[in-house]
Amino acid sequence: MRTIIFVVATFAAALFIGTGSAWYVIDHGTPLTTERIGPWASWTTEGNPLADPYTKAHLARSGRLPLTSTAARYFVARTDSDGYTLSADCEYAISGPSINARWWSLALYDDQGSVIDNPSQRYSFNSDELLRRADGTYRVNLSKNARPENWLPSGDDSGRNLVLMLRIYSPRVTDATGTGQVLPDRLPKIERKSCD
Amino acid sequence: MRLRIPLLFILIAIVLGGLIHIMAVLALPSLAPKNAFARLKSLGEANVMIELPPVKPGEETMPMQAPDVRYAFCRYDLSAGPVRLSAVVPDDLWLIAFYTPKGDNFYAVSGADMRRGRVNMLINETGQPVPDLEGDAPEEEEVVVVESPLKEGIAMIRAPLSGASRSARTAEALKSANCAPFSR
Repeated sequence: MRTIIFVVATFAAALFIGTGSAWYVIDHGTPLTTERIGPWASWTTEGNPLADPYTKAHLARSGRLPLTSTAARYFVARTDSDGYTLSADCEYAISGPSINARWWSLALYDDQGSVIDNPSQRYSFNSDELLRRADGTYRVNLSKNARPENWLPSGDDSGRNLVLMLRIYSPRVTDATGTGQVLPDRLPKIERKSCD
Repeated sequence: MRLRIPLLFILIAIVLGGLIHIMAVLALPSLAPKNAFARLKSLGEANVMIELPPVKPGEETMPMQAPDVRYAFCRYDLSAGPVRLSAVVPDDLWLIAFYTPKGDNFYAVSGADMRRGRVNMLINETGQPVPDLEGDAPEEEEVVVVESPLKEGIAMIRAPLSGASRSARTAEALKSANCAPFSR
């Protein structure tokens, strides 16, 4: 009797360990697959035919079709720079210096990867349309209500979690493998200003 | 001695868990039912250029689609021979990327790498003979042969929008993109 319990418990534990750990590394990534800079995470070999199995599994699950890391880099933030989950109930200032790339864009999504409805149909800001200050830096105001400078509306639904994606096409700095490099201090800071 | 039995089971659980972990990770790309290829395949037939509608809340083709990029894709099928793709590339920002059904981006070329104007591409399965292209395009236009590792795949054109004023021109240029079976 004890043996049967042990066997069942062993299999249950194995299933839990196996699927749980697989889910975690595919969803969250590890330092081997995912670069983390402040709130930003980027799967470094996403889209690359030579990517590791974890990155390929992550990609298949995501439903996205990203460019390989030699053509573009994608950074995703689900929290602010202090580590708190991005929420439509809060107001944020996203600020940073210019990024050395041919084109880049900062877009806002809900946690399903869908853009958020708003009257001005503003879902993103890209490097060509962003209002910048004289020194080349910019500030995007992420909030429910209209704000000056660059206003990225977070919609009227309260309690919604937000996801930011920074896509950087043709970064001008690359490493030996041709993977685009974005210096950590070039990624914008996400500062929480206030919450409802 | 009695303590050793649980220890053995713990070891078995860890080893077995590791195997399940590896199998789950390796199997996932083949099992994911809603990967990008499946989503795009549902939009239309093969070997034609299909433009993705501009993103609307809740109506995106793929999650996290760029709101400020216009997309057009060709789901090619090379089982009846090569497929050609042509487009008028209006600016440096355009990217044409080729993918396997699992989403491996095996080739990408940007507008800056191409000479402005018309781009002609021939998608050919790796290892298959390339058809004679002599006299196929006007002299000043060269035909780029793209070797696809598989019979099926996706060619995706990305046209980033650089401000609202230029989006009409981009949309116009994207409409000129064409994808069709190659025939002599």
